[in-house]
Amino acid sequence: MLDKAYGVGERAPQVDGPAKITGQAKFAGDIKLAGMLEAKVLRSPFAHARIRSIDVSRAEALPGVACILTGNDLGDIDPYYGHAVRDRPIVAIDRAKFAGDPVAIVAAESASIADQALELIVVDYEELPHATTIEEAMVANAPQIHDTEQLRLGLFHGLGDFQPHNNICYEHHLEDGDVEKLFSKADEIVEGEYRFPSVYQYSMEPHLTVAHWIANDQLELWSNCQHPYLVRAEVADIFSLSKANVRIHVPYLGGGFGSKSYTRLEPMAAAVARKAARPVRIANSVTESMWTSRRHNMICKMQTAADKDGMLLARKVELWLDTGAYADNGPRVVATAADAAAGPYAWQAQKVDAFGVYTNRPPSGSYRAFGATHLQWIGESQINEIGRRVGLDALEMRKKNLLKFGDTIRKGGKPLDADLIGDIQKVADGLDWGEKRGENIGRGFGIGLLAAGSRPVSTSFLRLEADGTITVLVSTTELGQGARTAMSQLVSEVLKVPLSQIRVPDGDTQITPYDRSTGASRSTTLAGGAVHLAALDLREQLIDIAVKMWKLSDEAIEIREGQVWGGDKSATFAECLEWHFGFVGGELFGRGIVRPEEGQGTYSAGPVFWEVCTGGVEIELDRDTGEIKLRKVVSVADVGTAVNPSLIKGQEMGGAAQGLGNAIFEEMHFEDGQLMNGNLADYRVPKLFDMAEEFVSVIVQNEDGPGPYGLKGVGEGILAAMPAAIVNALGELGIEINELPATPERVWKAMNDSRQDDNTLQKKIGGE
Amino acid sequence: MQLQTTINGKPIQAEVPAETLLIDLLRDDLDLTGTKRSCDMQICGSCTVLLDGQPVSSCSLLAYETQDRQVLTIEGVSLNGSLHPVQTAFLQEYGLQCGFCTPGMVLTTLSLLAENPNPDEETIRAHIGSNLCRCTGYYPIVNAVKKSVQLTNNTPGD
Amino acid sequence: MRTLTPFSILAPTTLQDSFQHIEEHGWNAALYAGGTELLLTMRSGLASFPYLIDIKKIPQFDEISFNKDEGMLTIGAGATHRSIETSPLVLEQLPLLAEVESMVANIRVRTVGTIGGNLCFADPHSDPATLFMAWAGTTFELVSSAGVRQIAPDEFFVDLFTTARAENELMSKIHLPILGKRMGGAYKKFVTLERPTANVAAFLGLANGKIDSARIAVGSVGPIPVRAIDAEGTLLGGFPDEKLFERAAETAAEATDPVDDVYGSKEYKKQIVRVLTRRALKQAATRADRSQ
Ligand SMILES: Cc1cc2nc3c(=O)[nH]c(=O)nc-3n(C[C@H](O)[C@H](O)[C@H](O)COP(=O)(O)OP(=O)(O)OC[C@H]3O[C@@H](n4cnc5c(N)ncnc54)[C@H](O)[C@@H]3O)c2cc1C
Ligand code: FES
Ligand code: FES
Repeated sequence: MLDKAYGVGERAPQVDGPAKITGQAKFAGDIKLAGMLEAKVLRSPFAHARIRSIDVSRAEALPGVACILTGNDLGDIDPYYGHAVRDRPIVAIDRAKFAGDPVAIVAAESASIADQALELIVVDYEELPHATTIEEAMVANAPQIHDTEQLRLGLFHGLGDFQPHNNICYEHHLEDGDVEKLFSKADEIVEGEYRFPSVYQYSMEPHLTVAHWIANDQLELWSNCQHPYLVRAEVADIFSLSKANVRIHVPYLGGGFGSKSYTRLEPMAAAVARKAARPVRIANSVTESMWTSRRHNMICKMQTAADKDGMLLARKVELWLDTGAYADNGPRVVATAADAAAGPYAWQAQKVDAFGVYTNRPPSGSYRAFGATHLQWIGESQINEIGRRVGLDALEMRKKNLLKFGDTIRKGGKPLDADLIGDIQKVADGLDWGEKRGENIGRGFGIGLLAAGSRPVSTSFLRLEADGTITVLVSTTELGQGARTAMSQLVSEVLKVPLSQIRVPDGDTQITPYDRSTGASRSTTLAGGAVHLAALDLREQLIDIAVKMWKLSDEAIEIREGQVWGGDKSATFAECLEWHFGFVGGELFGRGIVRPEEGQGTYSAGPVFWEVCTGGVEIELDRDTGEIKLRKVVSVADVGTAVNPSLIKGQEMGGAAQGLGNAIFEEMHFEDGQLMNGNLADYRVPKLFDMAEEFVSVIVQNEDGPGPYGLKGVGEGILAAMPAAIVNALGELGIEINELPATPERVWKAMNDSRQDDNTLQKKIGGE
Repeated sequence: MQLQTTINGKPIQAEVPAETLLIDLLRDDLDLTGTKRSCDMQICGSCTVLLDGQPVSSCSLLAYETQDRQVLTIEGVSLNGSLHPVQTAFLQEYGLQCGFCTPGMVLTTLSLLAENPNPDEETIRAHIGSNLCRCTGYYPIVNAVKKSVQLTNNTPGD
Repeated sequence: MRTLTPFSILAPTTLQDSFQHIEEHGWNAALYAGGTELLLTMRSGLASFPYLIDIKKIPQFDEISFNKDEGMLTIGAGATHRSIETSPLVLEQLPLLAEVESMVANIRVRTVGTIGGNLCFADPHSDPATLFMAWAGTTFELVSSAGVRQIAPDEFFVDLFTTARAENELMSKIHLPILGKRMGGAYKKFVTLERPTANVAAFLGLANGKIDSARIAVGSVGPIPVRAIDAEGTLLGGFPDEKLFERAAETAAEATDPVDDVYGSKEYKKQIVRVLTRRALKQAATRADRSQ
């Protein structure tokens, strides 16, 4: 299947498919080093506790235990990390800040010895008052999770200067126009308080890191991380190593969805391996991974004002995101949520106040379409409500109010780079909007924008080997999204070689060059951009060689069918190299560098592009139980240019499934900070039976993206759109949802509430 | 205990503690790392292997249970180095993304086809619905199983 | 999940041998069938045993047989869910049982887990337990060195994870009478998490267009499945119509006393019981009507 060239726009097979389908693809957990120890982590049972003392003597004495690491072992390094705020010690120092916070790590000859040793460690805890919800953390004299004055900022927050204070780790405010004035003259105001749950990304593969020190100044890690270069910098900083001496290998990832963004287990693994002076592996269980990263739960108050014709005037939003005990990516999530809050409408005024709140819960970080998923369903349901009040249907409301191409979204930021009305029309068409609906059948859609791309810094080398094989050196992480296939296609497009002649090896910070991260839908656009430039560079070099070899002008040279052509003469790449080097050896390198086109690519000047988050659903409601059955999903992927439509459709289907989960099932339950459903029996992930009967995927290609061929990233938008679409479909059925997930029980309750409202309304009318 | 079993057609004799889980025998002792551990509680199916042709969760099954029986893991699925039609079908239909659930999906499909070479859509969904995938939204997996039915029935001598 | 602590496996090949092992090791040993619950419990750190007694090697322990004269289907306690679900005998004589068994867990748990293990573990969220509770004439056979006894489901299930089985007893068989003419049964479950949130089994017998027998059991919302006796009473002698079913469903729901937990609130579970009971009765009546 792979022995063919596949250019941009073609449905190339997955280049890593054969490795994965045979079980040969190596994941982090498949790596075994000689003498490797298994580490297990002792975690705090309390949401907030002082650690008076830890007695590891009995555990240490257990045969087969190599070493035990506690907060007392971190004196000779800078143990605090956190790319946004350096608030997290490798293991708890003095205080444990959430139930599940690492307190000690055992490294032993086997997992079972490590398990036994954990039971022999005696920790003397003093329970402290805790703040395990946003409300508890925000009251005056709430327990303070951190001594915020002492907190230093991390290496990569990218958000300018800020200082956490009280239990606020970050705040972001946007204000434009005179909101109060517009509200005072509005005909219609919709307002409400809304809640979004804590959700687990649930990549099938839990977090895992193997650490191995070479002497005491070189560290080698195998880790399922999405952003190896950022992890490298943080780890180097902790142990005062040269960055170049920290080598991170990134094998295939069993999904990430943001859970493996930034630094995770690497500092723990490195610290224990250092103490043990042996290679060490830490492998999370699912429960531990749920304690490692999750999506922020949120409380939001939103008000929307419009005139009697349904013209939107102003929006006011206050939101609080629970970042848990450590900031993790919270600040960026707060900023992105603030960006997404108003929605892509032509507001005359808007005001957004967004806060990231520290609590005694597990830390929250990135999860696919963060910010947008939190906010879109709220804003979109308010727009529909206004429509109902003024007598405009949801589509008319959008056509009347959506921003147009080139409009300003945020002052100083990138203007709108998509045709939103065109996109939403396609969603409506896919849903047969306007056609009659059956009883208990609801249709809904949503549209929004997600600040995508993160920092635009990516680099790549293409290595043309003597036999014509092209090795793509790029640090994009293959998580299942098809990065390696897309990169191969970008090369194949330029150099016209079959995919089997292209290799994309694992990321390795000692070999594959710098890439900022794999997330924010940035890979194909930015890392792909670098690969594209590298391919062009290589192409130039080949043409130069042919010009010299055949003494032709460069216009006369052409590359097709994997060969260089000059009139009726042709040479394989290998032959070109042989001529060039005068020997069967030697290689060429193509170089690709993507950096900010202007300015420094900061958050305020960004984003790299606005990802359109749109889609629609048709649902059937069981009024007896509140259960929702998805009948149809319509996704519209506005991608600029589709490198591989099949991969895009895969992203849309997978994203929609997760969006469904976020909308109607998934919720991490906490009681006093204790995670009550930290396993797959009690935490519900969508199954095959939950999928819609019909999935309509539309790909919009307006070539309006910043990447090569006008492409822009995808993969996140549909997730944000799904809750909005489902909540709006319920809205059409008269059911108002202000808390997700819309579980059958919540829907049933909301149904009864609205029934009661109807009754009281009828009584009122009847009584008059 | 002294364990005698056959894994991917190869007789295996090993001295293992009675409490050894099958997944650990496969991954740690035999280096058959294609079998993946995820939920570790018999729900997701990433760790699926076939025991005498029937799907089991190796994460929670004692290696002891394989005594004198046949185990098939993903490493034993390919036929003399070339892909099994079920594998080809998954590739053709993009029935995988990250690949972590994939070995389990392939083996579960094989167990279905062994039982019922011509399953209808409902049977396919009931069977493969026992496995979880977080990446694909399942649509391409169902298509891959349907394609598997076609390809296996068209493979001569199979 | 933690790693398993070491144990030895004993594998008796006769009932007598297994009694001997049980007596010899007492609390130090656990009966081990499929292990789907037992190993999970041990790996969660909730229990540990130096000995597991593998009862799968006992002859005929997994046999499924039908006695035509008595109209009794007998299922060996060691039969797996999957073998029951696919047994031609079960599909022919008691298709409802096959239907319910096909809804248990997932195919891998059904392949390994046994019906006896399900019942003896007495997890409150069990499908077959609720079914058997409603199934008139069902008995479980318990054997020990002291002999054999038959016990009805409503005496067998005592509390959460607790049954009337004595420590030295083994469940060997389940006896199920096949349904008579003009009898129909139905089973409905509602799932939000992995295991059932609520389930209802209902059996109706019809005579001259009226209901002359009714059995309903409600499960998963309390520690053990329970009969909805009052609801059954409301049905007797009535015409099988929606209104009557709704009344019976209401009575069944009111009789339950669910707990608030991750599966749902008390109030909501009552609603689900109401809905499932109504739907189960309706289907049971249709099936009764069709069975000649
Ligand atoms: C992920 C998962 C999902 C599940 N979902 C469902 C579901 O939806 N519906 C449902 O009904 N069930 C469900 N179950 C329960 C499942 O049916 C049981 O796990 C299985 O049937 C238990 O059988 P076993 O042979 O594995 O029991 P084991 O684990 O071997 O034994 C369980 C207990 O019973 C004892 N025991 C076993 N056999 C006997 C015997 N013959 N006599 C006396 N004592 C005995 C053992 O000592 C042990 O204490 C689920 C289980 C899992 C793991
Ligand atoms: S890992 Fe075994 S079923 Fe999930
Ligand atoms: S392909 Fe990633 S979990 Fe299925």
